[in-house]
This record gives sequence, structure tokens and C-alpha cells, in this order.
Amino acid sequence: MNTNLWIPTLVILVLVSTISCIKDTDFEQASDITARPVVELNLIHFEVDAGEFYDESTNTSRLTLSDTTEIRFLDDSGLQESLLRAEFLFEFTNAIPRTFDVTFQFLSEATDTTYTTQTFVEAGTVGVPLVTTYEEVVEGAEILELTSANRVVVNVTIPEANAELEGALRLKSKTTYFLEITERE
Amino acid sequence: MKHVIFILLATCLSLGAWAQNKQILYGFEDIPQSLLVNPGGKTQLQKHYGIPFFSQIHFNGGASGISAYDIFGGSGDINEKIDNKIFEMEETDFFSVTQQLEILSFGWRTQQDYYLSGGVYQEFDFIFYYPRDLAILGWNGNQAYLDYEFDLGQLSTTGDLLTVYHFGANKALSNKLTVGLRAKFYSSILSYRSVGNQGTFVTTRADSDAENIYEHRLQDINMRVETSGIANLDEGPVGSKLLGRALFGGNLGVGVDVGATYDITDRLQLSASALDVGAIFHTKNTENYSAQGDYTLDGIELLFPPLSAGDETFPYYDNLEDEILEEVAVDTTTNSYTQMRPMKLNGALQYRFGKILSGGVCDCRNMGKGADRDQAIGVQFFSMARPKGWQMAGTVFYYRRIFDFLSAKATYTYDAYETGNVGIGISTTLNKFNFYLAVDNLLRYGNLAKAKSVSLQFGFNIKMDTE
Repeated sequence: MNTNLWIPTLVILVLVSTISCIKDTDFEQASDITARPVVELNLIHFEVDAGEFYDESTNTSRLTLSDTTEIRFLDDSGLQESLLRAEFLFEFTNAIPRTFDVTFQFLSEATDTTYTTQTFVEAGTVGVPLVTTYEEVVEGAEILELTSANRVVVNVTIPEANAELEGALRLKSKTTYFLEITERE
Repeated sequence: MKHVIFILLATCLSLGAWAQNKQILYGFEDIPQSLLVNPGGKTQLQKHYGIPFFSQIHFNGGASGISAYDIFGGSGDINEKIDNKIFEMEETDFFSVTQQLEILSFGWRTQQDYYLSGGVYQEFDFIFYYPRDLAILGWNGNQAYLDYEFDLGQLSTTGDLLTVYHFGANKALSNKLTVGLRAKFYSSILSYRSVGNQGTFVTTRADSDAENIYEHRLQDINMRVETSGIANLDEGPVGSKLLGRALFGGNLGVGVDVGATYDITDRLQLSASALDVGAIFHTKNTENYSAQGDYTLDGIELLFPPLSAGDETFPYYDNLEDEILEEVAVDTTTNSYTQMRPMKLNGALQYRFGKILSGGVCDCRNMGKGADRDQAIGVQFFSMARPKGWQMAGTVFYYRRIFDFLSAKATYTYDAYETGNVGIGISTTLNKFNFYLAVDNLLRYGNLAKAKSVSLQFGFNIKMDTE
């Protein structure tokens, strides 16, 4: 091969490689990239009739109704690392002429209680149901307690019940998750 | 005429985008590989051989709407910059990478004056459209976007790794008209695509009589991913499997390139080509995933069943997952599918001037044929079929034969990546040894971080021209 061939080749390659560069750019900043999504998500809902607090077959009242559901994403390691703050909104509509005591008990895989919150629901009537809202904000050290759980137990307690009691108690709820997603070491 | 061209170009440019444009190589007759961009290009070649694996190395990578500098450059908070870009970029913006490596290249002129050429090249082509709504959802969440329908159909991407075997013929039918045809056989190594998706996700505040506070709705979901050659990749030795597919052992396809060049006058020349008019038929090693349906998420409904000690309540969470999968049915199939190759169109109008090199008025055997002169200017148009429509680019160029052994072409291209892309190509031939280099986006080489795309082609050939 004629060595003269390399002259124009080299000229171009040297030119391209010497003038090409990446300037004023700091790729280290990639570790500072932080997404801060705020996610609104329904949580649980229910509607219980007044009759469920009284067992007509045995003529005895069942003062506490209890149920459990998994919330499997709650103890996901990604959420554990990213969750800064969680705002729960519980909205009760009570058409039963009784007050209620409602607790939300968060349990871990090993069924240890990691976080608990509780509220009081005002009494309403069938004609004029009463709306009680309850907000619970979880942040700081409590986040770890909340995200150690993967299920929630809901206990609805009525002070007194009888066969004549009418109406229904409804719950709607949602959580606002404030996340901070960044590169982890 | 000039006005028509200007309006045409301006229209195309304002629409525009580009990914496999080889605007420097197109019409650069000194380079044998220009026949791959226009099989009907004029050629003086008697014979050529590419140096195996080195006859054409092509790389192009780019992103429309964003450069590395936009995010990592200058001062200011990086998250603010991302925040701005996320909204500024559009769903038609894209990231793409194309790479080609010519393995074999050869050509010779027959006694009937056909120039036959063939070869083999490997190609990798990837495009990912910016799914703007999904980026907004991921970056900001849904709180500030209640009632906003996030378009999941913006997700569109394809990727292909294949080898192309080709053989073509080029013939000057008359003094004015040269035509060419190239047959292509595609041997797909790996391929995937997720195109034509549709569906929306919306969170709305529900009515007071609704089940819960919000309704999270997946609406008209029809999403799909088709893959070929990927599903069983982890079984057995990968290298020999990929090599086998490169050698016609995988999914096959056929296509053609056509092109023509016409000398309107001895100075003015019009040319055009259509490349990769064909398809690959994916029948083996396919695995496709699809999701279709609608779903409204209300949250988990507790039923408070009366339980005795030790009884378990309903598996609400599992039931919810099952319900979602039932409503938005996710299917995995191994159906065959046909994939059109991304067709490319080229066109050019050039005006030659300067010294006559050959074939001019003095050439009595070539009466009427366009004369080769040492300079030319012209306009080029490029368009390519992509999942979200045709991408286009327009180029103005200046060509000059500087010495007998050295010619150069400078281009100025408008496309989706950049509004001013200056490229330069040189071809040098000494003792039948040809080297060429084409570099794009020269103005950005001062700081590549500011470039939205970079493109490079070079190669080595042995060629013999008609004396």
C-alpha cells in the first residue's frame, strides 16, 4: 500500500480527533438526578350495614368487626427507600346513629404491629348521614415503621348494637405518596 | 423551479427527522459504496473490492430534541433542567442508533456494460420514541394531573440486528439515463418492536356515590411487544446461535433497492433511489406479548366476613391482581409476524460546473451525456419510514474534485436533530487504493456534548475506474 494514502487519512482523523471533545459537561451530576413524583392512590373502601353489628341467630351484638388485607407494595424495598411522606385520607359517611372507633393496624410479614392509627367517627342518621374525615400524615422515622408492614387490619368498633339499628357506615380512603427517587449506592 | 424546490425542502425540513441518512455518500460517485445508497447512480467503475470488514464502517447515533449538554452542561440545577426538557420534548422526539459494518463488497463491469455489485453487511438499528406522558407520570406522579389522560400509546420502539446479503446491477440505458436494481436478502439475528400501541391512564376524583375517592382508569388498552430471536437466547451457546442466524439460520426476508439518474442537460442531473423496499418474515423463535382491555381501580374493598378463630379472610390483594389481569388480558403468543423494513427514499438535483473531466462536449462517443466536471452544487432530500411516520431531511451540498486522486463533498443538512448540520466527506484514490471518510455535524466537534447526533462512515476499497 502506498504510504502517501495515509497522509489525507491521517490529516482528517487527527483533525477530527483533536477538535472533537466534550466540554463544560459534568456527568457526575447524574447522581444528583432525583425524581419527586407525588402519587395519589386509592387505599381501601367498605360499606357495613348496621345489622352486621348484631347476630340475630344468637341475639348477641358483635361490637367489633375486623378484616385484614395485604398491601404488598408497602414493604417493597424500592418504596422503603423512596417514600418521604405518606398522607392518608379516610372519609367516613355514617348513617348509623352510633359513634364508631376505627383503628388501622399495620402488620409486618411476621405479624408484628409496626404502625397504628385510630380515629373516632361521629354518629349520623339514616336521613342525614354524617361525613367524618380523618387525615394521618406519616413522615420521618415513622416512614420506616409504615413501610415495614405489608398488611393492614381494620377494626370497626361500635359502643352498642341491637336488632333495630339501621343505616350503614361507609369508608373511602386514599393515600398520597410523596416519593424521592434517586440513585442509591 | 427554484421556488418549488425551496418550498418542498422547507416543508420537509419543518416536519423533519433523520436516522440513516447518508447524505455525504449519496451521489459521491468516487466511492463504490455510493451504489448502496443509489443502485442507479452513475459509476465509472470497472471493478472494485472492499477490504473485508473495512469497506464501510457506519455509525450514527442521535436524539432529537435533546443533547447531553442540555442536561449535564453549563450551570444550574440538573433536576430543573430535566424538568424543563421533560415538558419541552414531544412524543415525536426520539433516540436512535444505527450501525453498519460491511463484511464483503465487490463489483465488476460485464462485457454488456452492466456494473454488477454485491456484498454482505451487518446492521443494527434501534429507535425509541420519547413517551412524553409516561415520562411526566414517572417524574411528577399523578397528583397534579387528575383528569389528565396519560397516553400510553406514545410508547413506540423497534430494534433490529441483522445481516444483509445483496446483489445488484447498474446499467446506463442511454447517454442520459442510468438505472439500477439491487436484490436484498435479510437474515435477522435479533428483533423486537412495540409499535401501534394505544390506551390511556387517568385518575379522576369520583362522584360522591362512587366506591372510593378516585377512579384510576386504564382505558382502551391495546399494547403489544413482538420479539424474534430473543426468547430462547439464554439457552445454549449464544455466539454460535447468533452466527448461525447471521448465516441464514434465523428469520429471513427479501427486499429491493431501486434507483435512477437522469441528465436533464449536460450540467443538470436528477437522481432518486428507494432502499430496503421489503420485509422480514419472523416465523421462528418468536415471542409476543399483548395486553388488551379496560380496568377501573377503586382500591381494595373489605367485606368483614364473620370468621371463627383461625379462619383466614378473603385474599383481597390476590383477588385484585387476578381481576386486573383478567380485565386487561396479558397474552403471550408465538405467532409469526411480518415486519416491513424501514424504507428509505433519496432524491437529488445537482448542477455541475467548472472544468470538464471527461464525457463532455469533446467526447463524440458520448454525445448528449452529462459531462463530468470538477465541481457540483445541489440539493438532496432524504426520507425514511419510521413507526411514527416519515422522517425527513434536506441537504444542500458542494462537491469538488480537488486533484485526480482527491475529491470532497461538503453538506449542510436540516433534520430533526439539528437545524444546521455541516458534514464533509473525502475520497482519495491512489494506486487503485481508495479510502473515504464522511463525518457529520462538524460544527459540533468543538463540543460533542452539544451535538444531538453524530454520524461517521469510512472505508477502504480497491477500485479500478474506466479509463
